[in-house]
Amino acid sequence: MPNRTGKVLLIDDNEIDLKIHYRIINLSGFFDEIISCQSGEEGLAYINKNLSNPEQWPDFILLDIQMPEMDGFEFLEIYKKFPKAFLDTCKLAILSSTLDFGDIKKAEANPLVIKLLKKPLYPNELKELLSKYSGSLGI
Amino acid sequence: MSTPTVRVLYIDDEENNLQAFRASFRRMYEIYTAISAAEGLLILQNIDVHVIIADQKMPNTTGVEFFRSIVDTHPDPIRILLTGYTDIEALADAINHGDIYRYITKPWNDLELHNSIKNAYDAYRAKIDLRNKMVELQKTNDELNRFIYSISHELRAPLVSVIGIINLVKMEGLYDSSGEYWGLIETCSNKLDYYIQKTLQYYKNAKDVPDHSEINFATIVNELVELHGFSDKDTNFNVSINQNVRFIGDAFRIEVILSNLISNAIKYQKTNEPNKTVNIHIEVDEHEAQIEINDNGMGILKEHLEKIFTQFFKSKMHHGSGLGLFIVKEALNKINGNINVSSNIENGTTFKITIPNAK
Repeated sequence: MPNRTGKVLLIDDNEIDLKIHYRIINLSGFFDEIISCQSGEEGLAYINKNLSNPEQWPDFILLDIQMPEMDGFEFLEIYKKFPKAFLDTCKLAILSSTLDFGDIKKAEANPLVIKLLKKPLYPNELKELLSKYSGSLGI
Repeated sequence: MSTPTVRVLYIDDEENNLQAFRASFRRMYEIYTAISAAEGLLILQNIDVHVIIADQKMPNTTGVEFFRSIVDTHPDPIRILLTGYTDIEALADAINHGDIYRYITKPWNDLELHNSIKNAYDAYRAKIDLRNKMVELQKTNDELNRFIYSISHELRAPLVSVIGIINLVKMEGLYDSSGEYWGLIETCSNKLDYYIQKTLQYYKNAKDVPDHSEINFATIVNELVELHGFSDKDTNFNVSINQNVRFIGDAFRIEVILSNLISNAIKYQKTNEPNKTVNIHIEVDEHEAQIEINDNGMGILKEHLEKIFTQFFKSKMHHGSGLGLFIVKEALNKINGNINVSSNIENGTTFKITIPNAK
């Protein structure tokens, strides 16, 4: 897609982690634009607002699991109802500090989750993942 | 402690007996009487009775038949059977099918019956206490599970943030800006994280009942090699897995076992070894999986070999938690597997594990 710059959407209720991930991605230069959301609801609102404007679609989402009110899995239940064109463009990975076996298996089983990344986020791990999808990510 | 109210139901088709029973015991117990099994059942459905006494010889339903009919619906009250003559068959039947606590011959002796009712009530209390304890235990267990879950999140999340910040410090070239302080913070944080992870593994292993899911050893091993190899790019892995049959086992425990052994094989390398190698070989058949993990690392001293599976055993030279192999052994115990180790300082260490196929 021409004229598009790489956008990543970070969804995490923890302000410090949002800041850390923002800095790591910023320093690594993987994306041109980083959108930080402090809740699943905020992330959904961003996508909804820009649904008719593909240039504003994120290419990649990093989603936390444990969040108050709407957790990562509840987010995914709503997220999967977005149009196919959107879901084909935007890849989603989970980024969580969970060690819970159930959470891990649930994340791996979800067809929309390309990978479960564990906090702390290592730039190399993210880079490896992104390079696998670089063709379809348009970045 | 005040004497508890004992509720006794007495069923007999002879009105005289019912009256005599009332006369003898009404000061000691709360007494309900019924002239037939049907009436007795009606009382049972409305009153929470502790002890039931039933006459064996009644016209429509015998005492044993009555007890048998309430085995499932009213399991708690303690049953006493009264009978006019020794009827071995009825007695055997009563014991086998009616869950009878005691057998008393008519005419009863007041003292004997009184003692029987007292003992029956104690048995009732013991039964109920045991059940309450079970409920309490279940509750404690659930709380422990929630506690473990919350440790894994609430306690670990901020720690992981700290490690994230240290990574940022590295990326921004500030790591050496304050002497060795950042390095020390990093070492402590990693150590704490390691302990949290091992503690969770230990509790999860201790508490969960074995689960049965399909295991694909190639997938698990490749994921673990990728995970552990990430921090150590020097080690060469030779993985050969021969699995042509379905293997059913406990996914969590098998992962914990393999993960600890692979991570150890990487961690305890000789620092000056140019070809750091870990060989993983797995043979799976209908009956079991045989796993061999071999390294050319620093080996284990002969006098340590017997102790390596003990909790908190660690050698002086190396900084382990003393939990890894202990958890491996505990996990294998839970799934009826076993482990053997051979090692020497020159050639490294080989662990051989067998895990039964639960197919």
